Amino acid sequence: MTRKLDSKDRSDGDRAVSRAYQLEFWPGMAAYAVVLTGVLLWGGLDGNSPWRFVWAVLPVIPALWIVRAVLRHVRRIDEYQRLLLLQGLGGGFAVSMIASVTMAFLEIAGFRVPGVGWIIYGAGMLGWIITGTVVGRR
Amino acid sequence: MKNNLKTLREGRGWTQGALADQLGVSRQTVNALETGRYDPALPLAFRISRLFAQPIEAIFIPPEDPDVPN
Repeated sequence: MTRKLDSKDRSDGDRAVSRAYQLEFWPGMAAYAVVLTGVLLWGGLDGNSPWRFVWAVLPVIPALWIVRAVLRHVRRIDEYQRLLLLQGLGGGFAVSMIASVTMAFLEIAGFRVPGVGWIIYGAGMLGWIITGTVVGRR
Repeated sequence: MKNNLKTLREGRGWTQGALADQLGVSRQTVNALETGRYDPALPLAFRISRLFAQPIEAIFIPPEDPDVPN
């Protein structure tokens, strides 16, 4: 009896919140993948056309939809989950700030790091994932 | 903060998920509350109190020597 009551199954509310998030997140991610693929294949990013700058930032538009999905998810989840999520985001933000300052100092010293934006992005995401995992296990 | 949430829940034959749905929170949150890893904000504490028809202080047991912020 007690074992059954200690079930780790997700509640109906958990499933509803998760479903709503998936429904908003994945269309944005799919649109991002489609636009990114199109830009990489036909955007001529290594050419000379001034339009290449427009094509280069085009994937940001569907990425904004993903940001919207995450923000709506933050409003939908409960206070404890929001605390965990925001702690994770805080960790990711701190790591990306440290990474960007590090890269900036390296640049001042004359060391140019190729793809620096992606390094900062990766560091921030990694910081988010690690912090989120750590605070979730406490 | 220690509390009697698990005892109250089991007394009613509810799973953590069932309690979570009645409180409008996740099962993860109910688990964190029961294990004392998370103290609820006042609106949630009042929802718990109302659900079990008991005053908040009968459900949540404050530490004997609570830390006072400086």
